[in-house]
Amino acid sequence: MSAASGTASDAPSVTRRGGTRPGALWWLAVPALLFFTVFGVLPLLGVVGLSFARWNGIGAITPGGLSAWRAVLGDPGLAHSIWVTFEIMAVSWLVQTPASILLGTFLAGPQRYRAFLAVLYVVPLLLSSAAIAVTWKALLDPNFGLGAGLGWDLLSQNWLGEGALAVGVVIFIVSWQFVPFHALIYQGGVRQIPRSLYEAAEIDGAGRVRQFFSITLPQLKYTVITSSTLMVVGSLTFFDLIFVLTAGGPGDATRVLAVEMYQTGFLGNQMGPASAIAVIIVFSGLVIAQVLRRLGGRDPSASELEGM
Amino acid sequence: MSTTTRTPTPSDTVASPRGPERPAGRRRSLLRSNWLGGLAGWVWMLVVMVPVYWIVISSFKTQSNFFASNPMLPPDEWSLDSYRLVIESDFVRYFANSVVVTAGAIVPAVLMSFMASYAIVRGGDNRFLRLSNSVFLMGLAIPLQAVIIPVYLIIIRMRMYDTLGGMILPSIAFAIPLSVLVLSNFIRDVPRELFESMRLDGASEWTTMWRLAFPLTRPALVTVTIYNALITWNNFLLPLILTQDPEKRTLPLALWSFQGQYGVNVPAVLASVVLTTLPILVFYAIGRRQLLSGLTAGFGK
Amino acid sequence: MDPQTQTRPSASRRSVLAFVAGLPITAATLSACGSSGPGSAESSGGGGTGASFWTLSGKPQEDIRQQAADEFNEAHSDTPIEVTLFQNDAYKQKVKTALGAGQAPTILWGWGGGGLKSWVDAGQVEDLTSFFDENGDLKDKIFPAAFGAATVDDTVYALPCETVTPIVLYWNKAVFDQVGVQPPQSWSDILDLVPAFNDKGIAPFSLGGQSRWTNMMWLEFLFDRIGGPEVFQAVFDGEKDAWSNPDAIKALTEMQKLIEMNGFVKGFASITADSNADQALLYTGKAAMMLHGAWTYGGMKNDGGDFVSGGNLGYMNFPAVEGGKGDPSNSVGNPAQYLSISSKASDEEKKAAMTFLAESQFTESIQQAWIDSGNIPVAQGSDALIGDGEDADWLKFQYDIASNANSFVQSWDQALPPAQAEVLLDNIAKLFQMSIGPEEFATNLNAVIGT
Repeated sequence: MSAASGTASDAPSVTRRGGTRPGALWWLAVPALLFFTVFGVLPLLGVVGLSFARWNGIGAITPGGLSAWRAVLGDPGLAHSIWVTFEIMAVSWLVQTPASILLGTFLAGPQRYRAFLAVLYVVPLLLSSAAIAVTWKALLDPNFGLGAGLGWDLLSQNWLGEGALAVGVVIFIVSWQFVPFHALIYQGGVRQIPRSLYEAAEIDGAGRVRQFFSITLPQLKYTVITSSTLMVVGSLTFFDLIFVLTAGGPGDATRVLAVEMYQTGFLGNQMGPASAIAVIIVFSGLVIAQVLRRLGGRDPSASELEGM
Repeated sequence: MSTTTRTPTPSDTVASPRGPERPAGRRRSLLRSNWLGGLAGWVWMLVVMVPVYWIVISSFKTQSNFFASNPMLPPDEWSLDSYRLVIESDFVRYFANSVVVTAGAIVPAVLMSFMASYAIVRGGDNRFLRLSNSVFLMGLAIPLQAVIIPVYLIIIRMRMYDTLGGMILPSIAFAIPLSVLVLSNFIRDVPRELFESMRLDGASEWTTMWRLAFPLTRPALVTVTIYNALITWNNFLLPLILTQDPEKRTLPLALWSFQGQYGVNVPAVLASVVLTTLPILVFYAIGRRQLLSGLTAGFGK
Repeated sequence: MDPQTQTRPSASRRSVLAFVAGLPITAATLSACGSSGPGSAESSGGGGTGASFWTLSGKPQEDIRQQAADEFNEAHSDTPIEVTLFQNDAYKQKVKTALGAGQAPTILWGWGGGGLKSWVDAGQVEDLTSFFDENGDLKDKIFPAAFGAATVDDTVYALPCETVTPIVLYWNKAVFDQVGVQPPQSWSDILDLVPAFNDKGIAPFSLGGQSRWTNMMWLEFLFDRIGGPEVFQAVFDGEKDAWSNPDAIKALTEMQKLIEMNGFVKGFASITADSNADQALLYTGKAAMMLHGAWTYGGMKNDGGDFVSGGNLGYMNFPAVEGGKGDPSNSVGNPAQYLSISSKASDEEKKAAMTFLAESQFTESIQQAWIDSGNIPVAQGSDALIGDGEDADWLKFQYDIASNANSFVQSWDQALPPAQAEVLLDNIAKLFQMSIGPEEFATNLNAVIGT
């Protein structure tokens, strides 16, 4: 780096130990924080406030005390939604993570055809929820869908009409759409792993599988945490697809928290309880994100200390 | 990030200016026999391509023979009716609006997120930065649909209702949390010695950020850019709520015009899906490489 | 307009919540921006004070809506009506957000019933009593049954307009001939037909059960035929335990009887109505009958090859149930569409809007346009405009149902307040899955009566 930019005035400060200059960098975060505060935090505070109010969404807002919270917490539907949310969250994590790591490692290879495959994989990400819903509902139709087209009865199930099947379908389609994205993250992670580690392992006579488990996977720790955070926290707010596919149905089999919030607030005109559910969503997301960060990183500078 | 290259270089802190070549070296030895990955790769391609194939062939069917024909076979007569309908529905204008909004939102969002991530990772033990990080983490879990009315009111007060800018600003904001999470974890993985050596070279933090961290983070930058671009591109709620004039509408709204009062014109929806997706796919295929080498160009000694 | 617009899933379906901290902003916006907000008449251009009008897009309806505005604007160039069109799921979200933020347009298009009631309760729309006093002719022209869904607490808040859309029983004549059976004259005929079709591998009834409101149409008719319109009226009026009425339980039991004997196509809960896959089952002969809205006629005519033009489509009103109290001429469906006026609009805007309501919707050219599109306007005597085109029989059939029905029950999910409608659709889905029985259904719904 032809860093002639290290001017005389900079020189004294950069010689300080540790390479960081506390306080000197904080302003770099200001633009992002400002944007997010105006369009994210401020509205969120409003939602928190609204969870203590009574509002049908179009009339006057009146103070409601704890009534919305009482209504939400006393509703057996909430417990069910939380259960479904975490069920879908956990299972889709279990499905997506190994698939993404495998595909990410595969895509990290230099072969041309892999780059081509990577382009194809991205197609589902390009589709809007409406398009995905139209497509999959048509393919899953028991009379005019995939099963009928291929003449394969196994595929002509009552996919969206039975609770357990519908949950499986939702998880499958979420994976179909998002595995490529996570595979891209893992691809980036794998490419960052120093080759020297593999060379050393090869000298030690370690096989591919052992190399994968003793080098690739540990080296991907932060990538796993990043990807998992996105998957897990994302699945809390993620509801377009579930809504357009099943509307939470059949019955309430796939009614996750975000769908419950939507139905309570937008369809049911009860903005107070819906806001309370929104607060629960944000709070759960925050807790999960923090836990995941602890699990992997202990503190933000941890990886620097680990060195390479 | 490895800085080791296939060809020996004088300094350990130098990476090859041609990025793709570098992973090539080590991958070849690592993955030659990754048959499991290979199998998964092809199986996944099938899983992805079957619905995509269905979308493409169905978009050439007419609405009237849509149910009459085998869903997995190409139409007997290829019909362009749906495509004609889509193009006549002001598709080009919607497309242009979508491009403006997406580019206008994602470039600033990614740059700001990168700066914030750099500060969070390199800024040491600073209370403000810790707070910022927590705010962004929390942001991951804010459902946009929950906060849309306040956002709407803020945009009206800013006198940006019914403008493309009014869609861009909130899109920037909602792209930030995910970008910061991904980017900061990548910057965290940059070996400490590299920063150290930059410091010894007398580089300022500003210089280090752009010339060391930025290029080293490029896989993450590319990923984050693509992902956020797709989210913005497909966002339906913001354009719906924040615009009124048909001339300001974006593609996702256009898609909905084929979902009539009494049902969906399936082939037309699929034709507009194809028309919307194809340019992006081409852009992605070309842009991904350009983006990679563009970012790499700023790097080198 | 149709039941499916209430419930059809879509990507747009997102919750809108607001902002207590936004209260001062709302107030400030209202006072500071005044008429410069998005929903007001700001966009009416240089033509003086007119009114803004939000309505639904979608062919052919949007052309007729636009035509009504254009004809009006020609005669009233000083107070033009500015039309903005939205796709129907998008429209609901948009209107709701705008009302919540105090940015509504002057004229609101709506479905009447529970949705209108929520606007009335929030003080968002004008009382039209004096409007109808001044326009007595207009009031007399409209089918009386259409006013039910425009009325909240005995006061009319909306103008019924556009078209009446009954739910009817369709049958595939070719399939009936093939099996050698006659169309049903009664509920017991229906139950007898089920094994006859099943034996031949043909589904007796097509049903897009994934869309939920499709199942609801069955209950609407069974409740009416077995217990008369009073049974649902009691629910609508918020009477305690109204769902436990013995006739209601009987209707629910009959419903499950039909489901249990495989009256519906296999996997019906995975079939969606919005892609018209349920219609395709009927016109491809995979199903013999289908209970559906009158709007599906156009779809089957377009998509079904020579199914309609070849005379294979039969249609009738839902038959009587033996021993039932309901009048078999009664119908259910969408009695009309509705226009309301925002109470937040300025006096000039309201005045322009009133004139628009009074003069634009029932001109002969507009009525003719609706008929030409295959619909029946909600106006008495509109059958005189039917002519003798290829769809004349179908149009006369619809007109007769609409004009002869002593009771025309609005689709339940439209009639009930939104919170109740959601619970209703949920429980209907479970009832059709056989995961709850009639008693549990009644208990679950009794719990939300009057909310």
